[in-house]
Amino acid sequence: MDLEPLLWIIFFLMNMGLIALNLYQIVSLSDLEADYLNPYESSSRINHVVIPEYLLHGAFSILFLLSGHWFFFLATLPAAYINLRKFMKREHLIDVTEVFRVLSVEKKLRIVKLGFYLLLFVLVMTRIYAAGTFSVVMSVFHSDNEELDIRSSILEF
Amino acid sequence: MGTENPNRASYSQRPSTSPFFAAQTASPFSSSTPVAGAEASSFHSYNPIPSSQIPPSSSEASGFRSVQPGRSNDPAGPPPPPSYGPPQTGPFQHLSGPQFSSPVQVPSLRTSAGEWPVVAPPVRPPAGPFSSTPVSFQMRPQPPTIPFGSPPQSMNTVQPGMNVPLSSVDSPFGASSTNLQPSSPPMRAPFPAARGTLQSAFSGYPGQQYNIVPQAPPVNSVAFPPHQGGSVTPPPAVSGPYVGQQGGYVQSPPTTAPVGMYSRDRMQHPASLPPLGTAQGLVEDFSSLSLGSVPGSLDAGIDSKALPRPLDGDVEPKSFAEMYPMNCSSRYLRLSTCAIPNSQSLASRWHLPLGAVVCPLAEAPEREEVPIVNFVTTGIIRCRRCRTYVNPYVTFTDHGRKWRCNLCSLLNDVPGEYYAHLDASGRRIDLDQRPELTKGSVEFIAPAEYMLRPPMPPLYFFLIDVSVCAVRSGMLEVVAQTIKSCLDTLPGFPRTQIGFITFDSTVHFYNIKSSLTQPQMMVVSDLDDIFVPLPDDLLVNLSESRTVVDAFLDSLPSMFQENTNVESAFGPALKAAFMVMSQLGGKLLIFQNTLPSLGAGRLRLRGDDARVYGTEKEYTLRVPEDPFYKQMAADFSKFQIAVNIYAFSDKYTDVATLGTLAKYTGGQVYYYPNFVASIHKDKLRHELGRDLTRETAWEAVMRIRCGRGVRFTSYHGNFMLRSTDLMALPVLDCDKAYAMQLCLEETLLTTDTVYFQVALLYTSSSGERRIRVHNAAAPVVADVGELYRVADIGAVVSLLSRLAFEKSLSYKLEDARTSVQNRIVKALREYRNLHAVQHRLGGRMIYPESLKLLALYGLALCKSTPLRGGYADTQLDERCAAGYTMMALPVKKLLKLLYPNLIRLDEYLLKASFADESENIWKRLPLSAESLDSRGIYIYDDGFRFVLWFGRVLSPDIARSVLGEDYAVDYSRVCLTEQDNEMSRRLMRIIKKYRESDPSYYQPCHLVWQGEQPREGLYLLANLVEDQVGGTNSYADWLLQLHRQVQQNA
Repeated sequence: MDLEPLLWIIFFLMNMGLIALNLYQIVSLSDLEADYLNPYESSSRINHVVIPEYLLHGAFSILFLLSGHWFFFLATLPAAYINLRKFMKREHLIDVTEVFRVLSVEKKLRIVKLGFYLLLFVLVMTRIYAAGTFSVVMSVFHSDNEELDIRSSILEF
Repeated sequence: MGTENPNRASYSQRPSTSPFFAAQTASPFSSSTPVAGAEASSFHSYNPIPSSQIPPSSSEASGFRSVQPGRSNDPAGPPPPPSYGPPQTGPFQHLSGPQFSSPVQVPSLRTSAGEWPVVAPPVRPPAGPFSSTPVSFQMRPQPPTIPFGSPPQSMNTVQPGMNVPLSSVDSPFGASSTNLQPSSPPMRAPFPAARGTLQSAFSGYPGQQYNIVPQAPPVNSVAFPPHQGGSVTPPPAVSGPYVGQQGGYVQSPPTTAPVGMYSRDRMQHPASLPPLGTAQGLVEDFSSLSLGSVPGSLDAGIDSKALPRPLDGDVEPKSFAEMYPMNCSSRYLRLSTCAIPNSQSLASRWHLPLGAVVCPLAEAPEREEVPIVNFVTTGIIRCRRCRTYVNPYVTFTDHGRKWRCNLCSLLNDVPGEYYAHLDASGRRIDLDQRPELTKGSVEFIAPAEYMLRPPMPPLYFFLIDVSVCAVRSGMLEVVAQTIKSCLDTLPGFPRTQIGFITFDSTVHFYNIKSSLTQPQMMVVSDLDDIFVPLPDDLLVNLSESRTVVDAFLDSLPSMFQENTNVESAFGPALKAAFMVMSQLGGKLLIFQNTLPSLGAGRLRLRGDDARVYGTEKEYTLRVPEDPFYKQMAADFSKFQIAVNIYAFSDKYTDVATLGTLAKYTGGQVYYYPNFVASIHKDKLRHELGRDLTRETAWEAVMRIRCGRGVRFTSYHGNFMLRSTDLMALPVLDCDKAYAMQLCLEETLLTTDTVYFQVALLYTSSSGERRIRVHNAAAPVVADVGELYRVADIGAVVSLLSRLAFEKSLSYKLEDARTSVQNRIVKALREYRNLHAVQHRLGGRMIYPESLKLLALYGLALCKSTPLRGGYADTQLDERCAAGYTMMALPVKKLLKLLYPNLIRLDEYLLKASFADESENIWKRLPLSAESLDSRGIYIYDDGFRFVLWFGRVLSPDIARSVLGEDYAVDYSRVCLTEQDNEMSRRLMRIIKKYRESDPSYYQPCHLVWQGEQPREGLYLLANLVEDQVGGTNSYADWLLQLHRQVQQNA
C-alpha cells in the first residue's frame, strides 16, 4: 500500500495536536488575564506543554523534510527556528514572576502561531484530499471486500 | 481683580475647596518671595472671607491658616509642611505678614492697585454669601455664587458636618466684611492673621478653580489655564470681562512665583525683564491661555546660581489636596499629575509617565494617624459591582437608603444597620461619627470573610551564613547581638515566632523548643535532597522559648569561631528555610557573605566584565543568572514569605541574582560592601534593628481601583502580581512605595472626575486583619497646559527612575539614560509648543513651574548609582543593590537620594548661640564644587550616608576640636566621636538630628579632607550632580543640551 495517505494522516494528527496545545496555552493565558487562574497555576500549565509542543513541531518539520515535502518543510521552518531560538535562550518557559508583564506578548505570539497552524491545517487537508487519503480511508467503507466492511459487521450486531 | 476673585470663589466654592485654603496656604505662601505679599494684598478684600470663617466655623481650619502666615513671615524660612497644622490661635500676633505685604503691593501691582479702590467699596457689611457677590458684581454677577456658598464651609472645616450652609456661611462672611477693611494698607494690628490667610488663600484659588471643572465642564476650558500649580498663581484665564483685570493680575505670576522662579526671572535675565513685559502685554490678548506657566527661560551662559534647585526639599503639590479635601494625604498617594487627561490623544501629549506612587503604610505624624473603623455589625460596605469600599466621595440618595459608588456609579443599597437620614442638603446626619465618609484614609477591621486562614503571627526567620568570611568580618557577631537586643521589641508579642538556620557547606538547623535549656544543632549535609529534621521545633514561639533563643544567640558567634569553611550551600539552605516557613509565611532575613557555591542555585563568579559594557549583552550582568532564584521567589511569595537580603562581601556576590528574592517578595536588599564590623557595625545594627522592629503588615495584598475609563496597566516596585491588578506583598512596611502607570481605556473620558482607591488588605502585627483604604480624586482636564501645570515632580521622578532602572535590566545603561533624556525633552517640547509662539520666547527655555526641577532630577537620575557611567564608575553589585533600593524608595527619600543635602556647618559650629539651631542647619546649598569653600566644613547627606568635608584651609582649631588630637592623620580611619568641647558636641548633635529625621537607614559618617584623593572624589565629588565629572554633563550644559534638543524638532 502506498505510504503517502498514511503519512498525511500522521501529518494531520500532528497538526491537530499542535493546534490543541496552542489552544490550551491560549486558554490558560486568557484565564490568567480574567483572573480565573492564578499565575502559578497558569504558568505551570503552560510550561508543562511547551516542550512537548516544541518537540512535536520539530518532528513535524523533520517528517516533512524526510518525506520530501519541501514546501511544507519550508513553511514550518520559521516557526521551528523561533522555537529553537527561544529554547536556546532559555526563554521558552513562562516566568511566573513576570507573567503579567509578558502576558499580552505571549498571548499574541500564540495566537499568531495558532493562525499559522490553522493555515497549515487547511493545506494539509487539501493535500490529504489530493493524496487520496480519503479514498484510502473511505475505501474501508466502500470496500468491495465484504470481510472488511465494518458497516456490515456493525449492522449485524 | 477683586471682582475676579469673588467670581472665582463663587465657582470654586464647592465642598472640596475650602480645605485647600489651608493646604495651599502653606506652600504658595512659603515659597513666595516677599513680593508675593503684593498679590495677597490685592486680594485682601476677598480673602478675608476665608479667614473670617475661621473663628465661627472650625478651629481646625483657622488654626491651620493662621499657622502658616506665622511661619511665612520669615521669607527665607523653610516652606511649612503642607499638612494641616494643629489648631492654633497664635498666628494673630504676627504682624509682619501684613506689613510687608503692603509695601510691596504698591510697586508691583499697578493695575491691581488701580482696581483696588474699586474693590474696597463693594465690600459691605451684609452677612451671608452676598458679601462675596457684590464684589463680583462689578464685573458681572455670578449666579453660581450662591449654590456654592455652603460647600466652601465644609471645606474649611474638612468636616462635612460643617457643611450646613446657612449658619456657617453667614458667620464667615460677616466676619469677612470686617476683615476687608483691615486689609487696606494702613490696617494691620487686629487682622494680621487674616492677611496672612489672604495671601495663602489667594494662592489657593487655583485649587478652587479646579473644582470648577468637574462641576461645570463648559467653564473649565476657560477657567483652567490660570491654574498654577498653586505655587505660581496664574492669571485666571477667564472670559472677556476679565481680560483687563487679568492684565493686572498677570503681573502677579512673576511675583508670586516661588523663590527659584522669581530669582530666575529677576537675576538671570536682567535683560529678560522687557520680554516679560511683552509677555504680559500678550497675556492680555491671550488671557485665556495660561500665562501662569510663566515660562522659565534660560540663556546660554547664564548665571548658574539662578537655576532651579530643590533647595527647599520636596515641595509637595498643594493643588491635589486643595482641590479635593477628602483626598488622602500625599504621604500615601501621589499622582504624577493631579489631573487626568480626558482623551487618549491628550494623554499622549503628556510625555512623562502618567501614574501614581503609593506608599500605603507611610508613617503618619502624630494626631494624623489613620482612623480605624469597625464594621462588625454591618459588614464592610462595598460596591456590589466594582467592590469599591465606601468612601467620602460616594453619594447617598433616596433619603439615605441607597448610595452611589463613585467609581462605577452603581446604585447600591445601604444596609439597614448603616442607614442614616439625610439632612436637607443631602448629607448624612451621622457624618461626624463616620470617619470613612469624611477622611481620605481609613482602616477597616476586616471580618472573617477576608481571611483565608487565621491571621498569621509575626514570624521572623533567620538564615545566616557562618562561613569563614562571615565570622572573620565580624558580621556574625554583630548580627547575633542585634537580633538579641531586638527580641524584646519585635512586634506582635506574645505571638511572635522565630527560627534560625545557619549554613556553610552544610545546613545547620536549630531545635529551640521551649522545653530545652540549650539549643540543639542538627547538621544536614545532603544538599541534593535537603530535608528538614524536626519540622515542628525549628520555628517556635519567641515568648515561650525566649531563654533558648537567648542562649542560642549568645553562643552563635563562638560556635563558629573556628570555622574555616569557605563554601556556601545557599540554595539548599534557602529551600530548607522555605520548607520550615511555608506553613505560616513571614519574614526571612538572609545574611549572606559568600557567593553560593554548592547545591542548587550555585552561582558563577561571573563578575563585572568591562568588555561587555556598551554591547547588547551588557544587561545580562544585571539580571538574575539562575532561574532557581526567580522560582524560589515566586514560591516564597505564594506562601507569604518575604525575603530581606543582607549582603556582605568584599568580593563579587551577585546581588543582581540574590536581589530577585527580595524583589518579588516585597523585601529589601541591604548591601554592605567590604563589611568590617568595627566600621560598619552601627549601620548594620541600626538597619537590622529597624527592619525587625518597625511596624509591619503581614500577608498583604494591595489593589488600586480607579474610575471607569482609566486603568492601571503596569506596576513597578518590589512585589509580585497575583492577578492583573493585585499586588502580593507578603510583608509591607512604611519604607516601601509602589509605583504604577495608568492608561486611558476609552478614547474620550466623559466623567469630570476620576477617583482612585488604594485598598490594602493585611494582617497587623497584633493579629488583626485590616483593610487600609486611601481615596483620591483628580479632575479630568481637556487642556494639555493644565496637565503640565499640576504635575507632581516627585511622583514623576519616582516613576521615571523606576522605569529607567527597569530599562537597564534589558538594555544598555546608555539606553536607559537616553530614554530618560528623551522623555524630558519630549515633555519640554510639548510644553514649549504651547507657549513659545505667543510669548515670543524663542531663545529661552520654557518649562512649567511644576516641573522646573525635572531637568535637574533627570540629570541626577542619569548620574545616580544604578544608571551612572559604565564599567568603571560603580561596582556591579553596588549598582544592582542601589537599583533594588531605588525601586522601593518612597518619593521623598528618592528625591533626597537624587539631590542630596549639602549644608555648611562651620558657621553654625562657631556661632555662640543655639537659638537658631533649627533653622540654620537646614539651609541647603547647590550640589556643586563651587558651593564648597575651602575654609568651611560641609555635610553631605543623601539619606544613606553622610560625608563630612573639611576645607583645606580650615582653621586647625576647628579641626582639632571636632576630631580630637589626631585630626591630622588619615581620615579614612578616623571615627567621628564626641570630644569634650562645645563645637564637637554641637556637631554630634546636628548629625544625630539628621539621623533622627530619616530613620529608615543609618547614615555612616565619612570624613573627607579637601584634596584628599581618591576618597574625596569617591565620596563627594562624584556625587555633586551639578558638576561635570568624568564625561558627564554639568547642570548648565545639561540644560543647554536639553534646550537644543527641544528646539531641534520643535
